[in-house]
Amino acid sequence: MSNIEIGLWSFPALMLLIFLRMPIGLAMFATGMVGLGLINGGNAVGLAKLKTETYSTFSSYSLSIVPLFLLMGQFATLGGMSQALFRAAESWLGHRRGGVAMAAVGACAGFGAICGSSLATAATMSQVALPELKRYGYSGGFSTATLAAGGTLGILIPPSVILVIYAILTEQNIAKLFLAAFIPGILAAIGYMITIAIYVRINPKSAGTRPAMPMAERFRALVDVWPVMLVFLAVVGGIYLGWFTPTEGAAVGALGTGLIALVNGGLRGRAWLECFYATARNTAMIFFIVLGAAIYNGFLAQTQVPQELSRWVLEQGFSAWTVLTMILVLYLIFGCLMDSLSMILLTIPIFFPIVSTLDFGLGPEEFAIWFGIIVLIVVEVGLITPPVGMNLFVINSMDRETPISRTYGAVMYFVGSDILRVILLVLFPGITLGLLRLFH
Amino acid sequence: QEVTLKMHQFLPAQASVPKHVLDVWADKVEADSDGRIKIERYPSMQLGGKPPELVDQVLDGVADIVWTLPGYTPGRFPSTEVFELPFMETNAEATSRAYWQLAEKHFMDTEFGDLKMLGLWVHGPGLIHSSEPVTEPADLNGVKLRAPTRVTNQLFTGLGATTVGLPVPAVPEALSKGVIDATVIPWEVTASLKVGELVKNHTEFGDASLYTATFIFAMNKDKYEALPDDLKKVIDDNSGEDFSAFAGKVMQDYDAPARQVAVDLGNNIIELTPEQVQVWRDASAGVEKAWVEEMSGRIDAQALVDEARALIEENTK
Amino acid sequence: MTKFFMTLARAMAVLGGVVLTAIMLLTCLSVLGRGGNTFLHWESFEALAPGLSARLLETGIGPIGGDFELVEAGMAFCIFAFLPLAQISGAHASVDIFTSYMPERFNRVLSALWEVLFAVALVVIAWRLYEGMASKMRYGETTFILQFPIWWAYGASFAAACVAALVGLFTAAVRVMELATGRTILVTGEAGA
Ligand code: NA
Ligand code: NA
Repeated sequence: MSNIEIGLWSFPALMLLIFLRMPIGLAMFATGMVGLGLINGGNAVGLAKLKTETYSTFSSYSLSIVPLFLLMGQFATLGGMSQALFRAAESWLGHRRGGVAMAAVGACAGFGAICGSSLATAATMSQVALPELKRYGYSGGFSTATLAAGGTLGILIPPSVILVIYAILTEQNIAKLFLAAFIPGILAAIGYMITIAIYVRINPKSAGTRPAMPMAERFRALVDVWPVMLVFLAVVGGIYLGWFTPTEGAAVGALGTGLIALVNGGLRGRAWLECFYATARNTAMIFFIVLGAAIYNGFLAQTQVPQELSRWVLEQGFSAWTVLTMILVLYLIFGCLMDSLSMILLTIPIFFPIVSTLDFGLGPEEFAIWFGIIVLIVVEVGLITPPVGMNLFVINSMDRETPISRTYGAVMYFVGSDILRVILLVLFPGITLGLLRLFH
Repeated sequence: QEVTLKMHQFLPAQASVPKHVLDVWADKVEADSDGRIKIERYPSMQLGGKPPELVDQVLDGVADIVWTLPGYTPGRFPSTEVFELPFMETNAEATSRAYWQLAEKHFMDTEFGDLKMLGLWVHGPGLIHSSEPVTEPADLNGVKLRAPTRVTNQLFTGLGATTVGLPVPAVPEALSKGVIDATVIPWEVTASLKVGELVKNHTEFGDASLYTATFIFAMNKDKYEALPDDLKKVIDDNSGEDFSAFAGKVMQDYDAPARQVAVDLGNNIIELTPEQVQVWRDASAGVEKAWVEEMSGRIDAQALVDEARALIEENTK
Repeated sequence: MTKFFMTLARAMAVLGGVVLTAIMLLTCLSVLGRGGNTFLHWESFEALAPGLSARLLETGIGPIGGDFELVEAGMAFCIFAFLPLAQISGAHASVDIFTSYMPERFNRVLSALWEVLFAVALVVIAWRLYEGMASKMRYGETTFILQFPIWWAYGASFAAACVAALVGLFTAAVRVMELATGRTILVTGEAGA
């Protein structure tokens, strides 16, 4: 078998293992190691990689916000802060069907923007939001789907690491890309809100409602949460104002919620240990997937599959729009099993120089920005399209009562909204480029 | 072809070193071998791992050829640090030539002994890129600054900055997330990493070079030894002192266009006067002395400094 | 036996939690120090109390040097230390959409198979980490700022990885035993931890 064939076969092999309930991180790790063995004619290269790659993957400064925020989430739950927050959100939004889910999507988007990893965002947010959503009568599948989808929103909100990387690979202006991401980002958020509204109308039992609360009571609920609000505002505001890095923000947030929990009496003896246990389980789960993905993606790069497929698409002599459609489909498929960053790093250097010579009726800079925004959105959609979507897998495994088929069912509504949005952005480049044309 | 070599490095393919040094080298080797050697190019750490792992990767055969900085693995190649001492470099071409010559004489078979060295070079004069203007060392106080290597970290810590050691590809992300407010790198890299869009101030040190960083371009030794003699010769003919000097020169040549990018962005370029540079010289004088003392157990550091300086002088026309 | 390994896994999780808490405190102190430093450099404050400002700055108020690399080293240890509990409580994400329609026996075979493979992976990871540590030790590699030997960080992670491998082996043995006897010995999920 040639390297390319080995690489191509690794997709069905990996999917089979995953659907045979092999832990996802292990499946990627094993497929990657076996694949490396096959293409290098022995396991020496794979074993050599492992000497440093586990340590370097786990010792990531930027990903260290994951355990810190998970710990913060635990403190917030124990100290009654998550409940209070959701009670406040519910007192304002609870009489609107799906209101609390909408608030959760907003929280996901904010967190995702800071965190940079959709997977970590979805996992971290589920820890805080899943129990609360269920408490307010949201069905399991709808809750997990909402959070999985919400996690993908962060990519369009600065400081988006992937936007910066794309800017570097295609030699585009970062500020202009951020500006161009603004309207598609808003559209995404609005699209999800509408999706939620539609979903709860079609499935009335999936979300609880109750009569509107009087204003006095709503404000009382807000007053109850002022310490938490203060911590959250300090964290998010501090990061955006450049007072501290996302990792530092996570540490400040964990300390703040920890102190509040201590004062509230939520952190006594066993409770403290339970915080550590839960943080440990979820941190290890997420990082093992990150490790597996790193090994698998390194193998895939060496097989040259992403590179060769990209070349193949470009060599067929299709029309510009067909090429674009094929590229987007390819990203949607790759998005199932690869992390967004590796995919962009492997394929953009091949696609971009050639695609940018095709005629879409746009100038070179406008094309680069428009193409980038669309590709990044599609890459993220891959994370939530059934049957294989990393976000779906991870969140579903944090909610043991909900079968994944339920999550699949509910997430299709969000995928539908995503696809609609991508079609809109493709057909009307002006949506993406409008602000740019206005300001430059 | 007979031999396929995986070449791995940390910058995107269109950055000036990959495009104008490494690809040039690889194309030449492929052509000179009549296509018997094929070099697969993996930019942007596509084979996995982080930049500091490149040295391990080429030692262990994960990659066959790597381009990296000895400075990413402090303590491993101590002698290379001599070229990173403040105000050591004259220009990149002469300093790169001196770097290869000094290595041949003193550490090619010791510190570099486990690797087949293909090229050793330095970049052009390093300068400071910051969100707030920097004209004197005092302006660095409390500034979170990224420096590439151990010696440069010592230099800028001594000058009052809060240093963070990061590989260069992490710079754009760190600047955009506020992990750092300033970075030191030569002009050449700023264009491909978009530094001019992330910070607005650049401090130049006139004809002087506040610091530079050393690079190695190395091959797995077993892989090299396993080549037939005629292919070994192809590799050897394209490598060594002249190639190193060429690489250093190319890097410095690409400083000017990158600087122009910052000018076109309307950024604030601070050109220090010789008097102002002298303040920096005085403030950083201690670094060399401290380095010599620190190294004295391991190598004859003072002699190495003197010899490096003499070789640079000799090669600078 | 089960009790011993469960306690071991929990102890590692707590140890990791303590290190994580230490990282949190260190980072907060660093932020505080940096804030203090900025405040003391603030022109109005320097004008208001020039002597005090200078004296306080001399005490070294500022961010903690090398906080970045301490976070990285500590984080690697945390994650290795968290692996044992994830292993013994079956916290790893998996997809049961098809297997849930399969007979119990089939699922037990799968559980045992994957757990054995996982144990092998963890043993390999620990072994390779040891090789990595040995190499870092041989070449005397240090960190950038604090310049502590990298192998210390590798060593701490290696110790935790060994426990993870051990707990992985135990969990695998339990799943094989469950397959053989048809009894449930180890409950997965939060109840199990
Ligand atoms: Na992502
Ligand atoms: Na998918």
